[in-house]
Amino acid sequence: MAEPTMADAPGPESAEFDAVVVGAGPAGSAAALALARAGRSVVMVERGPFPGSKNVYGGVVYGRVLDAIIPNWWEDVPVERWVVRRSTMMMTESQSLSIDYRTGAWGTAPYNGMTTVRSRFDTWLAAKATEAGARLLTSTVATGLLRDGDGRVVGVRTDRDHAELRSRVVVACDGVNSFLAKEAGLLPQSEASHYTLGVKEVLSLPREVIDERFGVQGHEGVDIEILGCTRGIPGGGFLYTNTDTVSVGVVASLPHLAEARIRPEELIADLKEHPSIAPYLRGSSLREYAAHLIPEGGYDTMPPLATDGMMLAGDSAAMTLAAGMWLEGVNFAIASGYAAGQAVDRAVASGDCTASGLASYRADLERQFVLVDHKRLRKAPALVLSDRVQQRYPGLLCDLAEGMFTVVNPAPKPGGLRVTRNAAAKHGVKLRELAADTLRGLRIFG
Amino acid sequence: MNDPRFTHVGPLVVACLRITDLRPEVDPLTGAVARDAQGNGLSAADAAALELSLRIAGVWSGRVVALAVGPPAIDPVLRDVAALGVTVLRVSPETVDPDRGYAAELADDEQRLARTIVASLVPYGPPDLIVCGDRSTDRGTGALPAFLAHQLGAVQALGLVALTPDDTVTGGGRALIAERRLDAGWRERLGVPLPAVCSVEGAGVRLRRASLGGALTAAAAPVPVNGISPADRPEREEAIPAVRIGPTRVFEPRARVLPAPESTDPRVRLLALTGALVAHDPPTVIGPVGPSEAADELMAFLVRHGYLDPTDPEQAGTSGKGTGR
Amino acid sequence: MATVDFRVGARAHITVDSEVCRSCTTSACVTACPANLFAPTSDGGILFNYEECFECGTCYMVCNSEGAITWTYPDGGQGVVFHHG
Repeated sequence: MAEPTMADAPGPESAEFDAVVVGAGPAGSAAALALARAGRSVVMVERGPFPGSKNVYGGVVYGRVLDAIIPNWWEDVPVERWVVRRSTMMMTESQSLSIDYRTGAWGTAPYNGMTTVRSRFDTWLAAKATEAGARLLTSTVATGLLRDGDGRVVGVRTDRDHAELRSRVVVACDGVNSFLAKEAGLLPQSEASHYTLGVKEVLSLPREVIDERFGVQGHEGVDIEILGCTRGIPGGGFLYTNTDTVSVGVVASLPHLAEARIRPEELIADLKEHPSIAPYLRGSSLREYAAHLIPEGGYDTMPPLATDGMMLAGDSAAMTLAAGMWLEGVNFAIASGYAAGQAVDRAVASGDCTASGLASYRADLERQFVLVDHKRLRKAPALVLSDRVQQRYPGLLCDLAEGMFTVVNPAPKPGGLRVTRNAAAKHGVKLRELAADTLRGLRIFG
Repeated sequence: MNDPRFTHVGPLVVACLRITDLRPEVDPLTGAVARDAQGNGLSAADAAALELSLRIAGVWSGRVVALAVGPPAIDPVLRDVAALGVTVLRVSPETVDPDRGYAAELADDEQRLARTIVASLVPYGPPDLIVCGDRSTDRGTGALPAFLAHQLGAVQALGLVALTPDDTVTGGGRALIAERRLDAGWRERLGVPLPAVCSVEGAGVRLRRASLGGALTAAAAPVPVNGISPADRPEREEAIPAVRIGPTRVFEPRARVLPAPESTDPRVRLLALTGALVAHDPPTVIGPVGPSEAADELMAFLVRHGYLDPTDPEQAGTSGKGTGR
Repeated sequence: MATVDFRVGARAHITVDSEVCRSCTTSACVTACPANLFAPTSDGGILFNYEECFECGTCYMVCNSEGAITWTYPDGGQGVVFHHG
């Protein structure tokens, strides 16, 4: 053996797997878990050195989806803090108005949501898949699709000596930039308007300081979602607690960000200096800075979920819910990945791995929250990212609160209607528009 | 025995690796170091050691064993190494010293660590070459290669930038040619006979990537842990005393007492203390000159200032010999 | 950026065709890239780094000139490694 590698050996690369899952994030690991449990041969191809190493998220993993997949998952999940306080904050440069909800019920099993660190959470979930019999191939990029004479996807090419991995089905869980979905023609090459950029700073603070400032103890945590902190660029901000760090970040619509010629880190700097946020972060030191794209187009921009020999799950299928009140993604990734794995199992059993053989995937998701939520909230991204909601309503609501709560005596208190009219006029909002948007919001969210 | 570990074909090249968190987090307040298993990896020096091992074994048609001391958390990294078609071995730190966990791997007792490593390699046959990285990222002393060489009775060549088989050796023998940095961009070239222990800098080579087949096979394979029994575990050997580091303190040179200036005039005292008006020879820059001219200049300086007597025959004799030193 | 773990590969995973950039009026990549990897040059081209890339994809998404920025994933195991994502 002159070169001590196995490149020439007839290794498993010539063998055919039932499925190749590209990406070992939440969607990929869930898909591999479902397949391994069904006794199918499956390999996960992960481009990072470990699962989660390329992944960033914005706050909370909602665990209800795990109940059916991993019983008592909360006993060994790598949690940072269980979210018991959830706050939605609207802000202007100097004001803020919060809706703050807190319940002890979220702090005990079966829990509602948790903050975690993706490098640990994704590794944990991938380990569930490998324990069930899936194989994990790290530090390997799936560079392209293999197709047979009829154009069906029959595997992927990897960047290890351009070697091929053949499979009956490819489950592309390769994230927001999914080059495989683009190659298959399922996603457009580049459509900036469907994406937002999230940037995040992880800041170190002693655990006791976090407990004190956020009013929590033990494993309790806080998640704050913020509107109106992005200089009018459609988007939002977030602040949430980990064990001994806090994560603060902003999300901004890509085309608007580019047009505004504002650097993303300036938006974070603004948010960190805001009088409502700065006291939480005082004395902290930067632990990590990260950036990631988010598919926020919603239901109407979702690509087809399957083609012959291939299907999409998680971010590559644009399955994140960015609808103001709800900001979710990891749970949709897990649910869609698991459903994809089950659909592949059924397709392999029936011998039909074409698009029609894989169609049970979409049907399944339409029965589940995954597509039901997305469909119901299909118009939410447009409303939440609209000019009025982004630029005028936060200021309007803050001024309303200011008008109501500022004590102006000896002048008599102004009536509610007058305060509203004044605030609306100041922010260029017609009451008719306000009523229309309220109605629109009720239709979408109600 | 069919176990491939025990059928020794061709020379055995061992890559001795130190797998650790490459980016540990240090608490700025307490100095506590937090290591995360997910940061585990090969340092540039270890990657170079592994790559050179593979290249040399390739030329010699030999085998490579990659060995690392550490807890099970380093297994994923060893699996990546195994994907290169290398036999891997993890030596559990408890083997080195069951009473002390992590510290025992470190500078603490590298002599004992070296003996454990050599004992762990016994099933693979006598190593012809051990290649280490020249430094570890977590406070190793860099003395392990020397201890390994001592244990094996092998020659050592440390801190190398290049290591290649010597193809001028004929008649079935094997040797290596090593290069080491000198000042001013010079390199020294060393002939290294076998068996040898070499440490290499993390420069000049990039570790190859494993093939897909190798990576798939390794992903599913367990990493063997050294199987030496407690009875074979090397005990502390009193005959070769290990270097012990005693309590250290800051170096405080004793103050030199100078006589006080005698004058009562403060200005004169100040001048005497500072030596402001005393004539000094300005520093002289000579050169660049060759070694012998430099030596002659030095000798002339010493003569000029009365340190050497050129008429003294004994002292005059040293002036001629001193040029090369 | 010093706090982020970048494992720099030998191959640049970003390429920029400065010929195309010369006709670009927006240079959106220069401000939008969260890692600040793109810098305009005096002759209208774009100078870029790939070493400290977050691999988010912003640059090619906001780029308005067809084919100016080619962006792929870095080789397996290389590139950014988030420890606190």
